[in-house]
Amino acid sequence: MPELFWNMMKEEWRVHSTMFGSLSFALFPVMIFGIAFMGSFLLPLMRSSFPSNNLALMIHASYLMLGIMVGGFGLLGNEVMNRRFGQASLLAYSARSLPLSEKFIFANFVIKDTVYYFFLWVFPFGLGFILASPFIGVPLANALLLLLTLTLSFLFGLCTVFFLSTIFARSRQVFWLLVLILCIGLGALAIMTGTNPALLFPPLLLFSSFTWANLLVSGIILVILFGVAIMLFNPESVGSEKIYTNSFAPLMKRLSFLPDPPLATKDTLDMYRSGSMVGQVLFSFLLPLTVIWFFLSLLGPYFPPHGLLFMFAIVTGIIASTIYTWVTMFDTFGPYACLPVSVSRLITGKLTTFSLMQAVPAVFIAVVAILMRESLYLLPAVVLCLAVSFFAVGVMVWLTGLSPNVLVYDVKVMAVYLVLIGIVVTLFTGIAFANPWYALSSVILFLPAWLFMKRALVKWNAVDPGGF
Amino acid sequence: MAWKGKCLKTIIRSDGSQQKKTNDGELIFMTVIIQTNDIVKKYGDVTAVDHVNLSVKEGALFGLLGPNGSGKTTMIKMLTGQTRPTGGTSTVLGIDVEKDPVGVRKLVGIIPEQETPPSFLTSMEYLQFVAAIRKIPDIGKKADWWFDFLDFADKKNVLCKDLSRGTRQKLMFTQAFIHEPTLALIDEPLINFDPIMQDLVKDYLAGYVKKGKTVFISTHILEVAEEICSEFAILHKGRLLHTGTIAELTSKDVHLPAFFLSLVRKDSNA
Repeated sequence: MPELFWNMMKEEWRVHSTMFGSLSFALFPVMIFGIAFMGSFLLPLMRSSFPSNNLALMIHASYLMLGIMVGGFGLLGNEVMNRRFGQASLLAYSARSLPLSEKFIFANFVIKDTVYYFFLWVFPFGLGFILASPFIGVPLANALLLLLTLTLSFLFGLCTVFFLSTIFARSRQVFWLLVLILCIGLGALAIMTGTNPALLFPPLLLFSSFTWANLLVSGIILVILFGVAIMLFNPESVGSEKIYTNSFAPLMKRLSFLPDPPLATKDTLDMYRSGSMVGQVLFSFLLPLTVIWFFLSLLGPYFPPHGLLFMFAIVTGIIASTIYTWVTMFDTFGPYACLPVSVSRLITGKLTTFSLMQAVPAVFIAVVAILMRESLYLLPAVVLCLAVSFFAVGVMVWLTGLSPNVLVYDVKVMAVYLVLIGIVVTLFTGIAFANPWYALSSVILFLPAWLFMKRALVKWNAVDPGGF
Repeated sequence: MAWKGKCLKTIIRSDGSQQKKTNDGELIFMTVIIQTNDIVKKYGDVTAVDHVNLSVKEGALFGLLGPNGSGKTTMIKMLTGQTRPTGGTSTVLGIDVEKDPVGVRKLVGIIPEQETPPSFLTSMEYLQFVAAIRKIPDIGKKADWWFDFLDFADKKNVLCKDLSRGTRQKLMFTQAFIHEPTLALIDEPLINFDPIMQDLVKDYLAGYVKKGKTVFISTHILEVAEEICSEFAILHKGRLLHTGTIAELTSKDVHLPAFFLSLVRKDSNA
């Protein structure tokens, strides 16, 4: 049914252009094209110090991550839209009003995501590289192959999230069993072949040596992931009522040490009951970081001793800063508009919850340091991770207030964010690479983070809050 | 209302309060609860509210009437500090709304048109949340009274996202009145209620203003406005077309729906 597909495409565009502004959003693929086109001219320079295979690896990993993130958002779409736009509902959730099965709608939804994000993210990048390829001596066939393999990487991310989340929704035991089998399998493979499993990522294999067999393998895996996800997809039954015993008052008592216990309690219950606490930690934190770890570890030889741990700590810090999006995704200012709550108080409340959630990256990076037998540098690694996270969230809050999603597609906002974060990341990567203990100096980042947050409160209090 | 249906002569005093004299010679002191002065709201090129001057007195059940898109919701948003006016000023309970929106929201009760309670709290938890923010004591007892009164005690522990629209409206009604505010501002108060609940709520609102409180409702359901309101204003395309009392219309044997339609049609054709 093409009508459903086209209307879903229109809907996706309108959601984005409403959230980010038509022009800002329309400029987004242009920016991706520009980055790819101009970045391609740096390739000949980079080749001398950084093998192009590794660059390809990083780009494929980024598109895999993008697929994971798009898939994660798609699953939460309806609830997020309701919070952001009031009683909004995506077509993907309209099986109640349309004579179409939920599985059919879901299949259209996945195809829509694939086509939409292909034109938003993948095609502009590929086109930039294709147009630049004659000038940098890259055969056109290689540039076209990159477009194909990046599309496949994106699809792997998307389908993996749909696959894992449908299994997670059906049975948590089966999910964990599957994760265990996958870990053991990858571990065994790594031990037996002495190869990092990331190198066996099918689109990457296809990119390094194109064969029809490799293409077929990628295709079959995607069809299996997608097919199983469709088969197991089980939307929440209509009209079901979830009943909970009253947890608000006891939890608020336990959180009374925090600056704003009612808001912290509400956020905690929101995150726990929406499944964000477990789901987001799994799909938006651990899964991306595991993927990044595999790919980053391949670049280990190019880092100084201990550099991998600190590079990973910085990346974890940046991913950890996105926890702010978890605590804001179900909330707009709307439900608070009938209460004596200012925007600045709400932002402060969200930052409090964010700070509590920073225990997750802190523990994570500590465990990584121990597993890497780098326990000696556990403290500077944790400090660096948290300092980067707080700095990044400070910038994010200053730029976007209660709508951090704006960051993704508003070109102007994203450019400012990238410059500010880029400076800090470059600076502290250099410092940590020079001497691991120097990473402790990153504690100074808490000061600009605090200043950004302070300015954010003033800035966003003076602006009409969106979303109602 | 002591003064309802009587001919009133208004004297506005310098502090904003009003002194009214009935034709029986009875003096009534009334405080202006809501005052807007040339208030304007523009969204880009669209003028949602166009130089509106409005005055609502203590103890009134005031109806802001208008067709869809006439600026009613924007007015409520401006009066409760949810959105800033492009021009003009407004005071609510003596507070400059633009300067202290949170101060206004501390004192009033609000039911927005579309907003629903937070998805992942139960009804009871949401009321506890409201009580914690508003610092309302004895919330358990008060909440139980409302659960019984609006007949949704069986939904006490149900997540808000799973509630029907009608039950959500009951919950939003409860949160607006649970602290017995001096002024309640309600956007479309009855729209999701069944006829039995509508009757109950109308009686409650009538009783509420008898206690000296003020209720400001925005609606396009004219029959309801005629039945429960003491005063009204008609907005059309963001402009104020008329302010008056229901009693004035009744005395002329004119019904509100007919009056409203003739006024709005005349304005549309002008």
